[in-house]
Amino acid sequence: MHEVGIAQGILDIAIENCKKQGYSGIESIKVKIGKAAGVVPDSLLFAFEVAKLDTIAEKASLAIDEIPVSGFCNDCSKEFTVDEAYVVCCPYCKGFSIRIDTGRELNVEEMEVF
Amino acid sequence: MKVKVVTNILEANDRLAAENRKIFQDLGVYVINLMSGPGAGKTSILEQTIKGVNGRIKLGVIEGDIAGDDDARRIGNLGTPVVQINTGGACHLDANMIRVVMDDLPLKDIDILFIENVGNLVCPAEFNVGEDIKVMLLSIAEGHDKPLKYPLMFQESTALILNKIDLLPYTDADLEKMRKDSLSLNPKLKIFDVSCRTGEGIGDWVNWLLTIVKK
Repeated sequence: MHEVGIAQGILDIAIENCKKQGYSGIESIKVKIGKAAGVVPDSLLFAFEVAKLDTIAEKASLAIDEIPVSGFCNDCSKEFTVDEAYVVCCPYCKGFSIRIDTGRELNVEEMEVF
Repeated sequence: MKVKVVTNILEANDRLAAENRKIFQDLGVYVINLMSGPGAGKTSILEQTIKGVNGRIKLGVIEGDIAGDDDARRIGNLGTPVVQINTGGACHLDANMIRVVMDDLPLKDIDILFIENVGNLVCPAEFNVGEDIKVMLLSIAEGHDKPLKYPLMFQESTALILNKIDLLPYTDADLEKMRKDSLSLNPKLKIFDVSCRTGEGIGDWVNWLLTIVKK
């Protein structure tokens, strides 16, 4: 729902890093987005296409690496990875005492600059 | 040329939120981020809270809405300092919006500042604004299936206010299931059953507020 703000955040980080390191433009940006981060990839791509106009990233492509939700169950001591965006209980024993390890990422990982 | 970045996209917001929190802490203001879906009764619980506290501690309110100033008028009518934010479409408040308006409030004279977030059961839970705790409302009329459908807000909140319990006889909502599922998601969640309309349960909520601000 807030993909425009996220797209702007990605561009701010990328452009700042690009300028700081003395490059003049951005070719591509790679981001890691957890499935539980509340971001719809298609909406983010759409927002990015609009937000990048008239910036040094206007020709840049956005690659989204989706990270599944994974965690550990304190009840049955099993590690789990699920396809769903949210997990409320352990998929094996249905216990609620779980620790979520991945799935909420929202990171700019790397970019190609020139 | 490949460049490693590895920066969290929400980092700017989190950094601003941490700065907000420091400003509030230095001034002795305890901040509660109040969240719920639209129409659950956020402004109504604030009105009841102001009446229930009855001057024993000093309250202040930041109102967040997409448009309009109805809520700020309701709070202002009770003599409580209030400032309205219109997000102009954004579905949640962020730390920068709070930073921009905080100086419009007499922070030195406020013990508890409520930040009433935009009515939305999803996005507000993702953005810290500089609060000490998050408190959420769910009204009986929204149905008992909500905790498991919108888990994040329940997991992030310190307290849950179940509002409109006066409507229980007129709905099929299962109050016990609401409680049970909420506690499954967050075993430490403090739950209050209230009716802003009849005033039932408001006393317990107000007493709890008085105890947290004493700490």
